Amino acid sequence: MRIILIGAGKVGYALAEHLISEEHDVTVIDNDEEAIAHCSGALDALCLKGNGANAKILLEAGVEKADMIIATTENDETNMLACLISKRLGAPYTICRIRDPEFNESQMLLQNELGIDVAINPERATALEISRLLRYPFAGSIEHFAKGQVEMVEFRASESDPFLNIPLKDLVSRVPKMPRVLYAMVERGNQVQIPTGDFIFRPGDRVFVSGNMLTITEYFRFLGRNRLKVRSVMILGGGRISYYLSRFIVPMGIHVTLFEVNKEKARLMSEMLPKVDVILGDGTDEDLLEEQGLSQTDAFVSLSNRDEENLISGMHANRCGVPRVIVKSSRMSHLDVLTDLGLDSVVSPQFITTSTILRYVRARENSSGTRIERLYRLLEGKAEAMEFIAMKGDAYIGIPLKDLVSRKGTLVAVIVRQNKVIVPFGNDHIEAGDHVVVISCESGVSDLNEVIYR
Amino acid sequence: MNRKLILRVLGSMLCIEAIAMLPALLLSFHYRDGDSAAMGQSILVTGLLGIFLFFCVRTEKDAHLRLKEGFIITALGWILLSLCGALPFLFSHTLPRFEDAFFESVSGFTTTGASVVNRFEGFPRGVMFWRASTHWIGGMGVLVLTLALLPKLTGRSSHLVKAESPGPSLSKLVPKTGATAKILYRIYIVLTAAEFLTLLLLGLSPYDAALHSLSTAGTGGFSNYGASVAAFQSVPVEMVISLFMFLFGINFALYYKAFLGDHIKAFYKDEEFRWYAGIIVAAILLISVFNLSFYHGDYWTSLRYSIFTVASTASTTGFVTVDYGVWPAASHMIIVIIMFIGSCAGSTAGGIKVVRINMICKLSRRNIRSTGQPKKMEVVRMDGKAVDEATLSQVAQFALMYIALWLLGALLLSLDGPFDVLTHLTASLTCVSNVGPGLGAVGPVSNFAAYGPFAKVVSAMLMLFGRLELLPMFILFTRSAWHKY
Repeated sequence: MRIILIGAGKVGYALAEHLISEEHDVTVIDNDEEAIAHCSGALDALCLKGNGANAKILLEAGVEKADMIIATTENDETNMLACLISKRLGAPYTICRIRDPEFNESQMLLQNELGIDVAINPERATALEISRLLRYPFAGSIEHFAKGQVEMVEFRASESDPFLNIPLKDLVSRVPKMPRVLYAMVERGNQVQIPTGDFIFRPGDRVFVSGNMLTITEYFRFLGRNRLKVRSVMILGGGRISYYLSRFIVPMGIHVTLFEVNKEKARLMSEMLPKVDVILGDGTDEDLLEEQGLSQTDAFVSLSNRDEENLISGMHANRCGVPRVIVKSSRMSHLDVLTDLGLDSVVSPQFITTSTILRYVRARENSSGTRIERLYRLLEGKAEAMEFIAMKGDAYIGIPLKDLVSRKGTLVAVIVRQNKVIVPFGNDHIEAGDHVVVISCESGVSDLNEVIYR
Repeated sequence: MNRKLILRVLGSMLCIEAIAMLPALLLSFHYRDGDSAAMGQSILVTGLLGIFLFFCVRTEKDAHLRLKEGFIITALGWILLSLCGALPFLFSHTLPRFEDAFFESVSGFTTTGASVVNRFEGFPRGVMFWRASTHWIGGMGVLVLTLALLPKLTGRSSHLVKAESPGPSLSKLVPKTGATAKILYRIYIVLTAAEFLTLLLLGLSPYDAALHSLSTAGTGGFSNYGASVAAFQSVPVEMVISLFMFLFGINFALYYKAFLGDHIKAFYKDEEFRWYAGIIVAAILLISVFNLSFYHGDYWTSLRYSIFTVASTASTTGFVTVDYGVWPAASHMIIVIIMFIGSCAGSTAGGIKVVRINMICKLSRRNIRSTGQPKKMEVVRMDGKAVDEATLSQVAQFALMYIALWLLGALLLSLDGPFDVLTHLTASLTCVSNVGPGLGAVGPVSNFAAYGPFAKVVSAMLMLFGRLELLPMFILFTRSAWHKY
């Protein structure tokens, strides 16, 4: 597809990188000389300097022939204007990053008028992700498939887990009481793999299990992890993510204490979030945190603007014995390092924005060739989960999975048939019209026929 | 530095060169001039070396090409290309001495067209065809060709195109570098074919027409006649070749824009093209006026020779129809000036490029104005758009380095040739600008044969510096280029 990206910041650049690796024709527009110079050196894309909300530049970029416009500059107004102008100039599909909560309120009203097909709010998306993590406090990440009916939860295997030291194929006979979930993926060290029948789990592995919500809940109850329910949360920093997050979790009955050092901001937060305890003070101050009961709190979320501050506070909370620590990082590149430091849950708004937009691009592409419904990036992009629709007449239809050859490094994780979720084992088969979720350790899979065949 | 990746890219480039030698091999079978063995051996050596480097050097799957590596590949690639391109001359014993063969090969690939051969009669036609093909391959750039044919070699391939294509900034036509390269080559092939057919219609033999088309397309200047284009003694042929020399000196991006629907507007809307056309018309008129008394007032003869000589020099081709070495000094000065300027960026031609001259003129104008009014803020515009200061300073520095290299080259040449200052200065300039003939003892009816071996190697290096626009070659001489990291 021909895609025009407006804004070559962190999100824009990461998007461009992925889109180019997926063989799209990408044109990047940015007003900043240096950003454009960097892009034209490092990306196989057409890079233009100029304001993305300028019709002349958009025409130069070929907006009338483009398949999609994605506006991700730091300025909401520029993004909206760029989408509006592009639509008027004939672009069929626009994705717009809108961050300001004020716009968010009127967004529904304006979205059609402005010619925006998809509005992405990174802060809101990040807050949503964090709220999911708080619901499953032991989980590193949670993905939803098939409209939320299927969940894939990541957690770290600990010494006491009953599924350790048993080959995967003997698990059902040796631990019969354990609810049957699908072990979709394992990360050991830096190596991501899809476990086969002979695979033996070890403590410290990052395990991904998938199943419907009920089974997953039972599974974790069996593992004895449900005791860790979050009832109180401390949030560092009074920014937009903190605002959205509080809005999401306060109705869930979670008590929120929010630290903000800036008086104006603290006042604003207190005004907008009546049920939240807003503390005016430096959230990196150990004494202040202790005074507010850091060691008794169930979760600590560090959301300040400075990555370093978030990191240090997160590590401090970890040491004080807070069971759940979530840290925001605006960089997408060093997530591995943070995991090594013991911080399991690192969220990056940029990463979330990028993967959300990529999901839309891929879904859009579905109509022009490949058949991926949605695509999720897992483990910092080391693996992918894809949702396909099984087509009538394909070779795998109606054949039990154990009789099919499956591509190395891939796994059929979920089958959804008419709102019924099947976590597939060897005897299950796929019917035409099924939604099929496939997990793959390598990118480049674009068709279900490549994954399973006779 | 990723040495393996560099070797692999160089290998793929040599494979392409071996394939490019095949037409010459076929012609050598056809004409039976006794050079089939030489062409065959050259293909074998080049191809095997290429295949060895390409298939035996393993690189990581997603190896990224860094900027420095891009420059080093370009510089080393062109040297390697020229060394392998010299093999047919060596194996066929047409040019048995290494420095002669290397000079001829470099002169071909850099589209200079200067020669060390005095008599072409009796040369095997397969090797002669290879000699002209080097112009065509070198004109658009062999790495660009490699990218067009082998797109998935490495990430960040735009570094290679940037280092190889002439002009201050890389103008991409479409987002993908590989796709851009393909479009450029399509334009190139269509224009070359158009010239070939026109020359055929004018009565040239297919061999002569093909040879001169390849040579014009690369703006090179190799001919299979000692007298160059003068051998045809035909005004229409001269005019057609003049026209195509002019066309190949235009930025190829303009042809693409014209094709996309801008038609003729694409050209006159472009500032560089207006300057290029203006410079050529002015030079033609001035020279024909200066030469009037030399041609005893024969206005048409003066204009005819002036048109061809200016088109040939400004496009840095170097075909010759007349001994302009005997023209008055004022005409010589014009020739030297257009030699220095050259043609448009993004064409197959050499020289300092019209767009740079344009920017330097505007920069100078701004400097002069600001002396009287230091507080006045003024941006330099190109095509109505502001040019950023970093580009301007790069352009100014480039011009200074260009002149420095020219003078240094003349000094080195003077160490190994018993000629006058005019000869050394124009010989150096003609090499750096990739034109071909100079003035004095390297004038239109003579060539570089009289220079010694040292001077020949120096001129070959000057041509490479000029073709790659200095920086990739200069980087080879820095110590940091060879660091492992």
